Amino acid sequence: MPGTEEAATAATKAKRDRVFLVVVDDSVEQAVALRYACLRARKGGGRVALLRVLEPVELVEWAGVGVMMQEERRADAERLLAGLAAQVSDLTGGMPILIIREGEAREELLGLIDEDPRISILVLAMATGSGGPGPLISALTGRHASRLKIPMALVPGGMTEQELDRVT
Amino acid sequence: MQVYLPIAEMSVDALLLLGIGFGVGWLSGLFGVGGGFLLTPLLMLIGIPSAVAVASAANQTLGASISGLIAQWRRGNVDWRMGLTLFAGGLLGSALGVQIFALLKRWGQVDVAVSLFYVVILGIVGALMVRESVTALLRRRRGAAPRRKLHEHTWLHGLPYKMRFRDSRLYISVIPPLAIGFGIGLLSAIMGVGGGFMLVPAMIYILGMPTAIVIGTSLFQVVFVSANVTLLQAWQVGSVDIVLTLLLLAGGVAGAQFGAAMGTKLRGEETRALLGLLVLSVAFGLAWNLVQTPSRAFTLGPLS
Repeated sequence: MPGTEEAATAATKAKRDRVFLVVVDDSVEQAVALRYACLRARKGGGRVALLRVLEPVELVEWAGVGVMMQEERRADAERLLAGLAAQVSDLTGGMPILIIREGEAREELLGLIDEDPRISILVLAMATGSGGPGPLISALTGRHASRLKIPMALVPGGMTEQELDRVT
Repeated sequence: MQVYLPIAEMSVDALLLLGIGFGVGWLSGLFGVGGGFLLTPLLMLIGIPSAVAVASAANQTLGASISGLIAQWRRGNVDWRMGLTLFAGGLLGSALGVQIFALLKRWGQVDVAVSLFYVVILGIVGALMVRESVTALLRRRRGAAPRRKLHEHTWLHGLPYKMRFRDSRLYISVIPPLAIGFGIGLLSAIMGVGGGFMLVPAMIYILGMPTAIVIGTSLFQVVFVSANVTLLQAWQVGSVDIVLTLLLLAGGVAGAQFGAAMGTKLRGEETRALLGLLVLSVAFGLAWNLVQTPSRAFTLGPLS
């Protein structure tokens, strides 16, 4: 049947075009989310996007100091993303999309998803401690759940590399 | 509502003190500064003797800075080694400062000396703040921003006794941080300020510390030096007024909460320009007090 074949090509193309968005924060479990996204992209096609949200600089009494703070935060974020990008390209063979935004993490994440239609799935890892899954997940599954326009994958933060390999 | 201040030996409206504490606390929450550099002159302008104003403002700075230090410490933004080095200088500087203060008090010149210090330093700081924010405003209109070289080598890097400050990513001589700590400690003892507003730029521009840990590390120095100043002032000069400090702190804590909540919503340049103007006007107020003809040319008092 020609119809099925057409649908199948369309599906592979869509698979190649899909983008896994990983939020880069300073948590331990973020590495698990990144690995999961990379493995999915490698095995099933697609790209990885890394988002780093910078905290805006609080008011300091000297303007020059404030400007320097902002520049240094941006430089740190660029260095961090460049390091992770190398990891991603080792795992998937392709360069990830790197995004740096400034503001409040949840608002910037939702804003980015609204603005960028390429992003097809959000990958977040849950914290392993007893303090809940993490602020972003709590917000996006709770009070702000209705604002999320794409599906979200939640990876348990305690999964090992072998386990991640098995499920992707 | 008048209250009697036992050390300052005068009656003041308690609501006025609460209001001053609130206003200064609000600014310190807004800018993350101790606020001592506004508090001491304001107290002096309402007629509190300089000795009491300085000692009590140092105490208020201590209270205002501790919560900031705890918050920064939790986020890992304090370089302990650098903080301790600065504090070592600060300890010496503040001890010497209190001796000078006690000496000035014995000579009866403390009011003039403190006022002069404030007029000069607030004048410079205020002028720099206004200039900086005006340039920033102009630049925003033109839309160009010059970039600074990240790491410059100066003669400071040739000094001996080098030490590694891992958290600051620095390998420098201990002399500049000791000297900076000493200078700020001296000012802290004489002026009753925490000194954060001068310490922060000094740490960035002279020492070359990364900005992320500058605020936390400066708060570390401010907390311990102002604690030392309060202790020495109370012990040697006997001028910490507990009623005054309590009222100021009560207002200050409430004000700081408001300020911190507003801090993220305000435009930086305009607020900073206003702060600079405020600092300048306090300096002018003090200068005017120094030169105007006093309403009473003589005062009589019992000799002790």
